[in-house]
Amino acid sequence: MIVADKKPIEEIIETTRNFKRLLILGCNECVTVCEAGGKKEVGILASALRMNALNQGREVKIDEITLERQCDHEYLEEIRNVVDQYDGILSIACGVGVQFTAEKYQATPVLPGVNTKFMGATEKRGLWVERCQGCGQCILATTGGICPVSRCAKRLFNGPCGGSSNGKCEISKEVDCAWQLIIDRMKALGTLEDYEKLSPIKDWSTDRAGGPRKVVREDVQL
Amino acid sequence: MTAVNPYNKNLDDRRATFIEYPQAVPLAFAIDPKVCIGCGLCENICLAKAVRYADRIKESALRVGAVILSSGSEGYDPSGLDYFGYGRSPNVVTSEEFERILSASGPYRGHVMRPLDREEPRRIAWIQCVGSRDTNRCGNGYCSSVCCMYAIKEAMIAKEHIHGDLDCTIFNMDIRTFGKDYEKYYLRARDKEGVQFVKARIHTVDPIAETGDLAVRYVDESGAIREEIFSMVVLSVGLQIPRASVALAGQLGIELNKYNFVATDPFLPVTTSRPGIYTCGVFQGPKDIPSSITEASAAACAAGRDLAAARGTETRSIEIPDEIDVSGETPRIGVFVCNCGINIGGIVKVQEVQDYAATLPNVVYTDQNLFTCSQDTQDKIKDKIKAHRLNRVVVAACTPKTHEPMFQETLQACGINKYLFEMANIRNQNSWIHSKDPAGATRKAKDLVRAAVARAGTLHPLEEKKISVIPRALVVGGGVAGMNAALGLANQGFEAVLVEKEEKLGGLANRLTHTIEGADVGAYVDDLIRKVNDHPKIQVQTQSLIVGFTGFKGNFSTEVLVGPGMYERKIAHGAVVLATGAREYQPKEYGYGEDPRVVTQLELGARLAEKGAGDLNEVVMIQCVGSRNEENPNCSRICCQSAIKNALHIKAENPDANVYVLYRDIRTYGLLEDYYTEARAKGVLFFRYSPERPPEVVAGEAGVAVTFEDPILGRRLQVSADLLALSAGMVAEDTEELGSIMKLARNAEGYFMEAHVKLRPVEMATEGVFVCGTAHSPKLLSETIAQAYAAASRATTFLSQSEMTLSAVVAQVDADKCASCLVCVRSCPYGVPRINAEGVSEIDPALCHGCGICAGECPAKAIELNWYEDDQLLCKVEALLEGVL
Amino acid sequence: MRLNYPTNVKIIRVPCTGKVDTIHILRAFEKGADGVCVIGCMEGDCHYNSGNFRARKRVEQVSHLLEQIGIGGERVKMFNLSSGEGPRFAQYAVEMTERVTALGPNPIKLARKRAAA
Repeated sequence: MIVADKKPIEEIIETTRNFKRLLILGCNECVTVCEAGGKKEVGILASALRMNALNQGREVKIDEITLERQCDHEYLEEIRNVVDQYDGILSIACGVGVQFTAEKYQATPVLPGVNTKFMGATEKRGLWVERCQGCGQCILATTGGICPVSRCAKRLFNGPCGGSSNGKCEISKEVDCAWQLIIDRMKALGTLEDYEKLSPIKDWSTDRAGGPRKVVREDVQL
Repeated sequence: MTAVNPYNKNLDDRRATFIEYPQAVPLAFAIDPKVCIGCGLCENICLAKAVRYADRIKESALRVGAVILSSGSEGYDPSGLDYFGYGRSPNVVTSEEFERILSASGPYRGHVMRPLDREEPRRIAWIQCVGSRDTNRCGNGYCSSVCCMYAIKEAMIAKEHIHGDLDCTIFNMDIRTFGKDYEKYYLRARDKEGVQFVKARIHTVDPIAETGDLAVRYVDESGAIREEIFSMVVLSVGLQIPRASVALAGQLGIELNKYNFVATDPFLPVTTSRPGIYTCGVFQGPKDIPSSITEASAAACAAGRDLAAARGTETRSIEIPDEIDVSGETPRIGVFVCNCGINIGGIVKVQEVQDYAATLPNVVYTDQNLFTCSQDTQDKIKDKIKAHRLNRVVVAACTPKTHEPMFQETLQACGINKYLFEMANIRNQNSWIHSKDPAGATRKAKDLVRAAVARAGTLHPLEEKKISVIPRALVVGGGVAGMNAALGLANQGFEAVLVEKEEKLGGLANRLTHTIEGADVGAYVDDLIRKVNDHPKIQVQTQSLIVGFTGFKGNFSTEVLVGPGMYERKIAHGAVVLATGAREYQPKEYGYGEDPRVVTQLELGARLAEKGAGDLNEVVMIQCVGSRNEENPNCSRICCQSAIKNALHIKAENPDANVYVLYRDIRTYGLLEDYYTEARAKGVLFFRYSPERPPEVVAGEAGVAVTFEDPILGRRLQVSADLLALSAGMVAEDTEELGSIMKLARNAEGYFMEAHVKLRPVEMATEGVFVCGTAHSPKLLSETIAQAYAAASRATTFLSQSEMTLSAVVAQVDADKCASCLVCVRSCPYGVPRINAEGVSEIDPALCHGCGICAGECPAKAIELNWYEDDQLLCKVEALLEGVL
Repeated sequence: MRLNYPTNVKIIRVPCTGKVDTIHILRAFEKGADGVCVIGCMEGDCHYNSGNFRARKRVEQVSHLLEQIGIGGERVKMFNLSSGEGPRFAQYAVEMTERVTALGPNPIKLARKRAAA
């Protein structure tokens, strides 16, 4: 899922300080699962911001709504009738949600409440790790299911660099060398002969480097 | 009138009218006739008219089907032991006195001070075995079993309570921490907390007049005389049977042993010499809390068997009228304010509070009473509920812990759902603790009533689901534990299905010949197997494996593969008893497996039964093999008595044989101590070794050469043994697969984890699942039998309900809001929430314990805990803070 | 055991501190509470196993938030004790009252007064 982390409250206080009527908009999907932007976080933020305002002698109206998702038009439509009651929306969905909400409600400032980090998985409660960078051309079949694009610091495609030591990356002892992992996995799978096969130069045009992307599926378009 | 307070061991005073201690049941006052001067004031003052001044002891006769004696023990009084300084210096205390000193509700309110000058001690010495293991000064030759552990506990807690550093030294002969996980506690005290353990028998404690300190003199292992100064000395007094209990036994015709404990047969641990009279706890023999609680349930099982035919004949059931459906109505709240005599009324202006309550939203009726908990007030409340059509009730009085269930019954008797009730604690949490501020207490009482009324308005009826209970138990394991549990259940009228993975029943006991008391294990096991096979209510499935398990308390379904043919069978049952047992550790040390002259104690026992000891001249035994080491930090409990049993057998047949026991601590606890004494008297030689320098074993032609150190001589000795017996410890049976199929908690050593170490020793955290025998932890055959009875007893309590009422205080998931994030699944301590077929979290009300952790964690606010819903708590917050901003 | 503590301490019952929601604590401060304590079993002895550990994390979260928004992180605290320790409860109640009194009233109250003036 998309993994995001809460923005420091000082930052949020700063960016929303001029709003007298604020809507905090949560999302019930990825940010709920990584405990950064669900209904509960909306409630906590709302209470904190209200108190902050009261403490500064300001009167603010802060309301709380959590949508199922902020990346589908239909769910965002649910707030159409109330949007003009607010000077600003603080969306604590991922960057996608913030933008989609902003695009739909052009007249209302939409601010982010979380920092969207990466596509990753829940290693355990409270620990999310990056696994995918959306390069657009998945090569996991050739690397034993371990991605060198997201897990190798240099994004190498043909084996480790000289900095790999004791299975760790040269940038930090906490980071596994992706290629060590790949070799170990291919050994376990018995496919180590494939390791010798050279990977061709990657076509990065499918990656963000080739410009903003879209996916079109004619077969499901109405 | 005051007197010294015997509960606090005469360390402080109390009145002539007193409550003995905070946990007393009933929590009511009594008059001490020895101190009472006879003024009769108490009777006149009591507003509840509860004092019967002229009350005298009355005799009444009860007709019963069984009797259980659990009269317990008293601490040994060391006053006769002049050399300890007890009585000469107040800073020499017994462990019982020290416990009261440590207690937050004791004479010093939990500040650890020494009695003489109330100074905080810097160094405390514990002297073990005072009044135990001592046939010289007192007649108590047995080991009291609990003193080593309690001394360590007192040292640990004293260290916590004292602000500076505290040096603790425990003078002992052996440290007997043989219970489940107790050894780990000992190691933590010694290695992490720095409690010192010195092997010495103290011969003199002299008070030092100038400082109040005590000079403790002893001889250390090298023979040197040492003297150390301590601020306090604690005598670890043993447990002994009071004279009154001896007299009681005499009256009842119960046989006692030479130490006045009840004489019992090792295979019938809770049965006395008189049929129908059972015993448990320390009267049966010195033991700790978990063992006492286990034996209590065991005695209940034994008595229950006698009474099985009469079950239910004297119980009364209460008629509850149908519930009125108030769901559509607006709340009509009745507020009843209590005076509680003068407890509330003397501080709080109750009339003011009642008048205030009448102004609150949705309140349609208010009243006040002198004692709201009295029977006639209950009738009055019922009338008012009906007369004013009240559909919510608030009682402003004491703590819900005392009377909430009773008030809820009053509501139910009027057809009102019991969850439409709220209490405001204006006594324990108000008038009692604000006695110096009546105006403040009145104000606060109004605040608390306002909060209670606000919450009452948010309450809605909750349904307590009823589930049926299948009156059958599944017993996993057909050893001595499993068979006794099955018989315990079957003899009380419940069906038991006994599943055993081997071909034969009997388990580890099949390898035993005799107990240390000389009882014939083989004959007992054969008899047990016959009883189990013949019993009409027990089904035995040998060569069977459990492969599946579903359901919840009262309604389990277990899939079993039966017999060599492996045919599948589904068993429906209401409870489970785990009795999977343990094995003897197979040593890797000391040449075991390489030389046939190196055997384990079980093998030695079998060998002695078969061939006798005539050909054995030099036998060495090494204790603690496979126990108390890094791999297995626990004590296996039974090996010391096992070694001594075999040693005595050898000496009985061949008195000239030399038997050497190399040990770390001899743990012949309780009544087993006599066998240790006998072994020494018969010439068995005991040598202590330290784990850093274990014995060395080299197998040679002439014999197995065992080299070890004698700590007294300070020399190394070597014996050429005909036989080397290793006291190999116990290892839990491999229950990893079973544990994962049935979701059973096991500790690091593979033993099942009970719900509470002390108070619920045979129950697992999952309701309806029980555990007994060595599957729980290493123990003797007699202890296994007691624990099996106990598990059967707890299981029958469970199964004897025709239906179980589940509490309505359970968590519920709103499927529409659930984000399937798995946070609740991960945070529930009982593993209850599950992602169901629809992909959202679901909580089974039969499994939910009602803690609310999932509700607090849910990032989507999709879970509410019944009766503690968010707005039901938030409305109290808002009501209490009304008008502040 | 007639102990004493100040009347400003008011108690809301929950089955386990694991039920106490971050939002409940924040709402109390929002409505003008000067201090909030969460009182649960001794660590390792939670009647429901882990509820008090979860509560501790939430209390820490609230404390941090309160500090960031200028209300004061010291106003919320978790206490662990066993249900048999009446005197200790009273001691903690007194301690908390003294601590909060020293911190002064909830700044929101003062801000409100200033705004009204």
